Amino acid sequence: MEKTIYLRLRYRITVEPETTVYLAQIASIIAPVEIKRVIQALPIYKIKKADKNTVVLDAISIIEKISTLYPGYDIQIVGPNHTIINVLIEKRKMPYVFFLLVWLLLFIGSGISIMNFHEDVSMQVVQQKLFYSLTGIWEEKPLLFQIPYSLGLGIGMILFFNHIFKRKINEEPSPMELEMFQYQQSIDQYLLIKENKESSGSKNDDV
Amino acid sequence: MMFKYCTVIFVALAAGSAVGSGFVAFIAVLGIIPRLIQLTKSENMLMYFEWASILGVIAGSFIGLHGVQFALPPLLLIFIGLFFGVFVGMLAAALYEVLNVFPIIAKRIQLEGKIYALMTAIVLGKVFGSLYYWLGFLGK
Repeated sequence: MEKTIYLRLRYRITVEPETTVYLAQIASIIAPVEIKRVIQALPIYKIKKADKNTVVLDAISIIEKISTLYPGYDIQIVGPNHTIINVLIEKRKMPYVFFLLVWLLLFIGSGISIMNFHEDVSMQVVQQKLFYSLTGIWEEKPLLFQIPYSLGLGIGMILFFNHIFKRKINEEPSPMELEMFQYQQSIDQYLLIKENKESSGSKNDDV
Repeated sequence: MMFKYCTVIFVALAAGSAVGSGFVAFIAVLGIIPRLIQLTKSENMLMYFEWASILGVIAGSFIGLHGVQFALPPLLLIFIGLFFGVFVGMLAAALYEVLNVFPIIAKRIQLEGKIYALMTAIVLGKVFGSLYYWLGFLGK
């Protein structure tokens, strides 16, 4: 098995803009020592301005590069067939005011929507009746029930999102983390097909 | 007469099972029971939790429809209110989840690092909105 090069592409890497991506950055390599040394430093792609913030590198273009250098070698790709390169474009720093506005939007919005919900389901009437039914006392405002209810509302949401326990109650991801992960995966899936020159047909691999 | 009764019973059973299965579907989609099981690591208790919600629905409709009368000490209502609040809070959180609010906000307006602060905004908004509703909004 002297003449085999094994490559395992990384799923996603992040680089600075307008740099050159070398093979060592995007793949783990198993190969004879001297070959490994050479191909580790093999330039794979030069990030251009026009690439914006994502480039997808296909395994086939990498195999092509290596096989022109070492024609006699068998190149095996293990794992993912693409690497997504995230180019770190200078993010406009979000003004603090903007964050504050979003915060207020969510705060006021969710506050008023819970009031609408209460009105919608006649919560007051139900709670008056419930209070009467359980205690035998007619209370116009069963605050003894309503205030704990309001606090419980917060507790329930926190429990569901699981973010007060930053240490994590157990190893499993919280629904929010799963949701973020799935959203990211859908974006990646989209990029793999839309940004990948190999699979969209127009071939131009200039370094 | 007999026929009328039978029809009514049949219609009522049909209506009840439609509402009941709707309730189960709603709870199932929002995934509240799985979430609670995950939090308390009690996978083997699933059946009991299911029965708890079924019995809860039955008890609730009995109390609500038949005007059953208890004479519990009012202080006990604090606990019932709290539990009810936690339940509604989980419902609300699950709805945000299903509607995919957070991933989209975080990606779109580049606030990924602040997602917990935004979540706090929603939680506090709910608590204060609710308190204001009971204490201020409904009139002095």
